[in-house]
Amino acid sequence: MTEPIDLRAEMRLAADSLGKPAHDPPSRAVTSDLSVDEGLLLHSIGWEAVDVVFGASVVSIPPMVWTWGSGEIAPASDAHNQAVRGAAKTLGEQCSHVRGHGVVGVRVEVDVQRHHVDVELTGTAVRPVRGKDPNRAFVSDLSARDFTLLHNAGWAPIGLAFGASFVYAPRRSMGTTMRQSSQNVELTNFTEAMYAAREAGMEHMQRSALDMGAQGIVAVRVSEGPMWFANHAIGFTAWGTAVRLEAESHQYLRPEVILPLDDAVVEFEAQSLR
Amino acid sequence: MVASGPPDTGDVDPDPGATGPQGDLPEAAGRRLASGSFSSGLTVPDFAACLQMGLRPVGLVQGFCVMQWGWYGAGSQYMRGMTPFGFGGDAPRGVYSESYSCPHGGFAYSNEHRIWGQNYQQPWVEAAWAQGFGSAYSRMVEEAGAVGAHGVIGVVDTTRHLADMNVTEFHILGTAVVVEGAAAPPGATPWTTYLAGQRLAKLVEAGYMPMSVVAALASVRVWAYCVTEMLMEGTLSRFGGNYLPVSEVEQLSRAHMAARSLAREHVRSQLGNDTLQGALIVANTQSLAQGDEVIECALRGTRVRRFKDFDPMDAPRPTVRLS
Repeated sequence: MTEPIDLRAEMRLAADSLGKPAHDPPSRAVTSDLSVDEGLLLHSIGWEAVDVVFGASVVSIPPMVWTWGSGEIAPASDAHNQAVRGAAKTLGEQCSHVRGHGVVGVRVEVDVQRHHVDVELTGTAVRPVRGKDPNRAFVSDLSARDFTLLHNAGWAPIGLAFGASFVYAPRRSMGTTMRQSSQNVELTNFTEAMYAAREAGMEHMQRSALDMGAQGIVAVRVSEGPMWFANHAIGFTAWGTAVRLEAESHQYLRPEVILPLDDAVVEFEAQSLR
Repeated sequence: MVASGPPDTGDVDPDPGATGPQGDLPEAAGRRLASGSFSSGLTVPDFAACLQMGLRPVGLVQGFCVMQWGWYGAGSQYMRGMTPFGFGGDAPRGVYSESYSCPHGGFAYSNEHRIWGQNYQQPWVEAAWAQGFGSAYSRMVEEAGAVGAHGVIGVVDTTRHLADMNVTEFHILGTAVVVEGAAAPPGATPWTTYLAGQRLAKLVEAGYMPMSVVAALASVRVWAYCVTEMLMEGTLSRFGGNYLPVSEVEQLSRAHMAARSLAREHVRSQLGNDTLQGALIVANTQSLAQGDEVIECALRGTRVRRFKDFDPMDAPRPTVRLS
């Protein structure tokens, strides 16, 4: 068991250091958007932050693709996937430029408009302390906490896997609409359209992970719904971090089970006095 | 353009003595700070952590600055010599600017055809933001110095538009503290940090001392040229009447990257060889007119410096909670 740190003494030492030269300064300024906890966690596995890095890409969607049709709206899906690829590529290049091994905690912002898709990625480039330059930088939207857990379990993030699909919600014929108006009935055309969108989006995502040489994808998130500017079109987006096992086998973390004994906090309610 | 870093307040008396704060603080601020009791913007847990670290709160300190944004149209004093036909050549040295030329033969089509486009940094906007933020920051530090504080913790800064005018208020506040048993900081200029409570304790435990709050804004104006306009508006290509295929809008992608990279460089220029901890990046795009927009990126965080050897903590034990 390590000795508890005397915080008062540490604070005094820190405050008194202001008048002295910097202690073992890095060769260049470091920027990081990680929290204090995330920075400490990275240090615990021998990694450090290097620089805040960005990737942005705006890709156009040709006109008239949102008008009525059937099946997948391929130009919109292509534009979305191209924008993500472009932004992730820039992010990776910025990371390599500052000799980072990868980017963690990537904030993904996607805005789909009628004529364009805007993708903005922001994260912190990290590397092992005194590590060698990597062959290729990874991009991951995992937090530094999740990255640490993954690392301890013997896995490594490879890149950001992304897939998007946009489909037309199909129309029923006038006759079918009339026939079904008084029935409780499944609208199979809608079910099929949703299936198609989800499957195509997931397939795009999976293909992008396989192209990177990944074994799987973790922390997949999905978003879906009608487009605000075209209610008859449904968009489906899925993304996560592609991972690969680096150790010989998965390392079990064996977490310790704890039972908190805290009482629930009872707060004073001023309104009860009225 | 930059704003922050400990400003030069070398002539501020760190010990107000019995007569209350010195300097040119507003009278009300002077009265409040001289009242003998402390105030603090800390939460109760942060307050407890602060005392545990040997930080004694001495007062809630704040600074304000209200700035008016001027008019930047053609002929404005702020255009600094840039012209639509400068193709970037007229930009002041070290300022980001790049131009885009029509590939379609220009005026042959129409007078409305955008034969020229430009992305350019707006240093006058950045300087005004830096002045607003920097003045508010200096005033807060001046208040802290006036009550003999060593540092300001839990800094919160906000900017907001006042009423329906072209006016922005910068407001910064924090809790001034004295480090029990430590010497006054160099030049009696208090250090500042966005952190407080356990997060500050963990930072110090990890071997980092906060130096100052650091913030910067980058502003990039985009004047779209014809290709950007066609791609963004979904209009027909004038050549052959075909729609342009899915393609990257290079002018906008580069403008977004420029705004973010410039903000990072502005902040880096204030760091020396130190570290920016907990960077907060806020980017937004404002459309001024068709094909005319501004991309702004604000970046802020706490500049920290290592004061002892790299000493990583032990690997934490994973736990699962039964409840």
